Amino acid sequence: MLPRVPKNLTFGFKATLPITPGVIPFAAVMGTVCADAHLSFFQSVAMNVILYAGASQLAAVDLMTKHSPVSVVVATGLIINLRFLLYSAAFSPVVQHARTHVKLASAFFLTDQNYAVMCAHENRLRNNREMIEFYFGSVLCITVVWQSSMIAGYIFGNFAPASWSLDYAVPLSFITLMIPTLKNAKYVAVALFSSVVAILLKPIPYNLGLIVTALLAIALGVLLSRKKQ
Amino acid sequence: MIANGYFWTNIILLTIGTFIIRASFIATSAKVQISERHREIFSFIPAAILPALAVPLVFYHQGQVQALLGKERFFILILATVVAFYSKKMTFTLIFGLSSLYLLIKVFQ
Repeated sequence: MLPRVPKNLTFGFKATLPITPGVIPFAAVMGTVCADAHLSFFQSVAMNVILYAGASQLAAVDLMTKHSPVSVVVATGLIINLRFLLYSAAFSPVVQHARTHVKLASAFFLTDQNYAVMCAHENRLRNNREMIEFYFGSVLCITVVWQSSMIAGYIFGNFAPASWSLDYAVPLSFITLMIPTLKNAKYVAVALFSSVVAILLKPIPYNLGLIVTALLAIALGVLLSRKKQ
Repeated sequence: MIANGYFWTNIILLTIGTFIIRASFIATSAKVQISERHREIFSFIPAAILPALAVPLVFYHQGQVQALLGKERFFILILATVVAFYSKKMTFTLIFGLSSLYLLIKVFQ
């Protein structure tokens, strides 16, 4: 007899399906970029399994093809991933009384998508146990879709000729990932500022201009959003 | 070519760093309330870094369309931003961006 699948695991899986159209193209771009950068199949899959953070991977592969120093690649990726700190804080009460391996696994799989789906269905889950089941159902859905689309992208990227300009999908993806985060004019100002400063600072060696730009743009955000006393 | 050792150094450091960020509050079960102010500051991160990654990539790219001084990727990115804003669909934006690029190159060559 098959073990019973927890009801909320299935619920979490199904609730995540509607957002997969956003995951598939991004993962496919990721796979294409890996093939384009001549990463081996093993390197590409391993990176996607152990790091499991798309935007930072895309940035890292791009910076590595330009032979940027390790400090720049890692710092850029970690700045991109700093947002997980917020998700971790938000999810912490849910797994507060769970076993350590459940805590660590739920931390490992935190993504923008899981977090969003979880928030949207919170009121339909009665307790932490149900929420954890739901969460892992969502994780399962994202992981399966992400990895299989990435592999499809990798295979496609391996035979697509350079004249198809598939590398252009990288800046397009970054912009599409950013758009939903622009909540008001202040965010638009920060994004425009970041674009201009990044162009101006591009000549700084080792791609250090990228980190300086990010820090300046965050500082501008802090300044703009300061409450009037 | 990306050297093997260089690749793994970067990916392993990123993996460890990212896991520490993800596990921070969860592993310690810290009952820390992140203030609204900090939440707001964090929310600026994507707007601060994603354009910094994308824009120089297209601005300094030497393309083939002389009429646009070889900056066709830059111009299409601006249009694609508008498309992404209204459509909110990544697939649509990618198809729009890539097919506009092919079209422009075809027309001007």
